[in-house]
Amino acid sequence: MSSLGDLQNIIREKYNIEPSALDPHVSMREQGLDSLAVAEFLFEVEDRFGLTLPDDHQHIETLAGLADLIDRLRAKQLA
Amino acid sequence: MVAVTGIGVVSPHGDDPDRMFDALMRGESAVHPVFPELAKPAAAATVQFDEPRWFTKLQLPGVDRVSQLAVAAASLALRDAGALDAAPDRIGIYAGCGMGGAAALEAAYASGQRGGRVPPLTVPAFMPTAPAAHVAMRHGVQGPVLTYSVACASSAVAIAEAAHAVRRGDVDVAIAGGAEALIVPGVVSAWQALQTLASFQADQAARACKPFAANRNGFALGEGAAFLVLESSARARRRSARVHAELAGSAVTCDATHLTKPDSGGQQRALRAALSDAGLTPPEVGYCNAHGTATQIGDAVECDALRAVWGAAIEHLRVSSTKALHGHLLGAAGALEAVVTVLALRRQQLPPNAHCETPDPRCGVHLVLRTQQAADGVDAAICSSFAFGGTNAVLVFKRA
Repeated sequence: MSSLGDLQNIIREKYNIEPSALDPHVSMREQGLDSLAVAEFLFEVEDRFGLTLPDDHQHIETLAGLADLIDRLRAKQLA
Repeated sequence: MVAVTGIGVVSPHGDDPDRMFDALMRGESAVHPVFPELAKPAAAATVQFDEPRWFTKLQLPGVDRVSQLAVAAASLALRDAGALDAAPDRIGIYAGCGMGGAAALEAAYASGQRGGRVPPLTVPAFMPTAPAAHVAMRHGVQGPVLTYSVACASSAVAIAEAAHAVRRGDVDVAIAGGAEALIVPGVVSAWQALQTLASFQADQAARACKPFAANRNGFALGEGAAFLVLESSARARRRSARVHAELAGSAVTCDATHLTKPDSGGQQRALRAALSDAGLTPPEVGYCNAHGTATQIGDAVECDALRAVWGAAIEHLRVSSTKALHGHLLGAAGALEAVVTVLALRRQQLPPNAHCETPDPRCGVHLVLRTQQAADGVDAAICSSFAFGGTNAVLVFKRA
């Protein structure tokens, strides 16, 4: 399962940014999503997936990294 | 001398200052019913704000409506002022705001009450300094960026302080004004509970606020933002700027008597000190854009103070409160009404004191009772803000 597509959809809805415009393997901040935008995005992600991101998720910089984390958390939920 | 070289408004009558003034001159009210779900009927003057014109979706996280309105109004004022030729650290922002991001604060509490989570950007969204900060970021302003929170006098105080800063040479250019956007159900309920908002019959919301009328019973809330660009007259001349009016003087005093009841003595001190600062005598001032919130006590005290200061010359001072038409913008009231006063001088037209079928005979001031009133050579005008907490701010403008 990959949550990357879901995350890209949320970013497109919230910020009008097409998936092609955001490299999943490059830092989100470096691509123009400042810390406030990322904070709101993560809040939305938690709401949509019914998850709580662990406190140490701050180090995750890329969309792909976030998608991996979400995949693991969702897998745990289903287990 | 301090010149007003730019004006910008995001008001219940739109964001074109001249069209806004035209609507006021026609006596058009922007007050309308809001929040039908509230137990008691509520009315307010709101802004039709086109967010995408000013912000991409990516720029919006953590930016409350009050900050959005501030950025738009300040941007319009700067566009109106033309090329400033000022270094970023020689520009300052002096912004009034009564409450900060009310919508963000209310959303956080509402969520909590439902057992939900607090949105992560609640703090930077609601903090009262945010509007000024966002204006600074949008325009790269690196000088002093200050927020004045003095209830209904906030933006008048901000403008007065900005003029002092320009005169002292702290900054070459000041962006001075204010913003307020608190038309959300919880806040409106709080104002209703205070019993200062006007009551009205079902289809009469637009005419609910009747300053200086015998049957007045309070005001309607408004939202919006307004900014002036201020610089020294000499500097304005050097860069061939168009000058709307001169900010000739100001004064800020405090009643120190009651938290909400106005005091004639405190207002008189402010009126006299402002005239003195401007080097004017009462007969030389032909128009007063009054605080005029249409409360029984507020209007009576304001008239008492005007009569005490103007004495025999009171007949020659035309008075109107435009809050009847654009609502009470609280922290942004001083700024919006300053813009109205500047336009009155520049256009030589006086906005009406609307909805006043029967003036209160005890008021004894010469109200502008008709629409399309010409100014008959009015060369100087004052704009008063008399706030909760007792602060009185009076601005004096002279024709350019």
